[in-house]
Amino acid sequence: MFFKDIPIRRKLMRGIVLICGMVLLVTCISFFGYELYVFRKSTKEKLSTIGKIIAANSTAALAFDSHEDAKEILAALRTEPNIVSAALYDQNGKLFSWYPANRDIREFPEKPGTMQFRLSHNFLEGFQPVAQDKKQLGYLYLKSDLGGMYERFRVFGVVAAFVIILSFLLAWLLSKLLQKSISNPILALAETAKMISEQQDYSVRAVKLGQDELGSLTDAFNNMLTQIEQQNLKLHEFNQNLEMKVKERTIQLESVNKELEAFSYSISHDLRAPLRGIIGFTTILEEDYSSKLDDEARRITAVIRNNTLKMGHLIDDLLTFSRMGRQDIIKTIVHTDQMIEEIIREVVPENRMGKISWVLHPVPDVQGDINALRQVWINLISNAVKYSGNREQPKIEIGSVRERGQTVFFVKDNGVGFDEKYKDKLFRVFQRLHSADEFEGTGVGLAIVEKITSKHGGRVWAEGTLNKGAAFYFTLPDF
Amino acid sequence: MPVLKIIRSRLLHAVFISACMVLHLYAQPVVSREYQIKAVFIFNFTQFVDWPQTAFPDADAPLVIAVLGDNPFGSYLNETVAGEKINGHPVIVQYYNRTEEIQNCHILFIALSDPQKSEQVISGIKGKSILTIGDSPDFLKRGGMIKFFKRKNNIRFEINPAATKSASLTLSSKLLRVAEIFDPSKKS
Repeated sequence: MFFKDIPIRRKLMRGIVLICGMVLLVTCISFFGYELYVFRKSTKEKLSTIGKIIAANSTAALAFDSHEDAKEILAALRTEPNIVSAALYDQNGKLFSWYPANRDIREFPEKPGTMQFRLSHNFLEGFQPVAQDKKQLGYLYLKSDLGGMYERFRVFGVVAAFVIILSFLLAWLLSKLLQKSISNPILALAETAKMISEQQDYSVRAVKLGQDELGSLTDAFNNMLTQIEQQNLKLHEFNQNLEMKVKERTIQLESVNKELEAFSYSISHDLRAPLRGIIGFTTILEEDYSSKLDDEARRITAVIRNNTLKMGHLIDDLLTFSRMGRQDIIKTIVHTDQMIEEIIREVVPENRMGKISWVLHPVPDVQGDINALRQVWINLISNAVKYSGNREQPKIEIGSVRERGQTVFFVKDNGVGFDEKYKDKLFRVFQRLHSADEFEGTGVGLAIVEKITSKHGGRVWAEGTLNKGAAFYFTLPDF
Repeated sequence: MPVLKIIRSRLLHAVFISACMVLHLYAQPVVSREYQIKAVFIFNFTQFVDWPQTAFPDADAPLVIAVLGDNPFGSYLNETVAGEKINGHPVIVQYYNRTEEIQNCHILFIALSDPQKSEQVISGIKGKSILTIGDSPDFLKRGGMIKFFKRKNNIRFEINPAATKSASLTLSSKLLRVAEIFDPSKKS
């Protein structure tokens, strides 16, 4: 586990203990270094002092060649257990007397060296001149072991270890107490935040534990919560208003729409009555008075009848269109394949059936209003047949693809197609891209298709190029 | 510098030895090793004995070492003290053949064969701050201050503190420590 991942509580404690430890260690090391320095210095000084005393005492022994006296003087060093050996050299640098007396003289330096005490290995040794007044009489050699130093360091080490352990313990205990004042508010804050995000209750407030930075953090946090709460309230109110407004408008719209549909239905219905009269009387004219009419009158009568019939179709389509708007859809399982076959048989005239090459892919069954969907297929297939009628080899392809989780049905033909820029106009009522002379029709068929698919929760669109065919797609939601 | 000092002393030593050899070969009769040591000891006494201020007329007055009688040191004593100074006093050596010649000296080595005569000399300079040294066995009994003697082939000396005291000479305790102390009540 990395340091950044451990809980803040332990992070703080570790930090404090680590700092304490480092400080202690540095202190101990510096103190140890200082001790070492001081001890070396004081040992040197002490040895130098002893050396001076011995040297001063041994002048007469050297001056008057008294080995006994020299031996006696050196023997006084017994009282200094750290001094392991000492020796006197005469003026000419010859070994004169030594201590301890039983030590092999080969163990002593042959000749006096530098007049200075220095550390070598575990010993402090050096020479000191022996002089009476200013007269040089000989040299003193002293050698001291550092047993005293090691003894002192051992004691120091034990004390230092004890102090470090005690301090660590104290630091640990104190940090345990101190970290609470920092980590507790943070933990409380985190706990509150967690509770809020889990329960979505923005009325909860974090408890403030002090006036420090964490206290102001808690305040800021609580302020934020208050703001969120207020905004939530506003949003909620706003949403409710909106919903109510939408509902109102929808009701208004629906009633207007219903009125409009009722109006158009009644208009269409009422328009049919006079049309029937016109057709009836035109038929009477053609059948009963044909002999009395000349050719021009007969032609005009035929024109009247044709136009009247056309108008009848238009009114029928309009009626269908408005019926589609008014009627609720009743969903059942629709066997699409079967339906398409039936429709092809119904809508394609006998004489054209053989000319068209059909490509029928198997398509899935859907759930929807059977009559409405029949109308959709009728309109699309009859359009395809109609607009490919002037082709030498008309080709119509019907199928479906899965796209983005829904089924897309299509009807493609190689007919006259249309200009892409008008494709939005295709599905509007009475919008035609071709003249009625070229292709007969009322301009309502695709509008009906659009209405039905949208009522089913799907959508319809077209792709096409002028003179290169058109493709109509529509989707129905899966059941 | 200690090293320099050593080098210097060694150099001096070498010069001194060659000088000795030259003198030895051409000029002087043979000086026994015994007297060589005694000469050095005599010089060393100057460092462990304090004379009263009245013993010197002024601050750079010489400290005189005198030899009375037959000089057993040859030129060795001169060589030993050559160039030495004690508390600012240059050390010089004088040789007297007769008692009358004795002047203001500080150390008097009495090399008279006649003990009677020695005693006379000692009593003659009584009260003066002169350190008397001799090597006749009864030298101290006759009032002398320091007597050389031999022990196990070593030259040692005996001091008569009563005599030095009456001559207002202060002897270093260190000197006393390496010496035998003469006790007039004891028979030697």
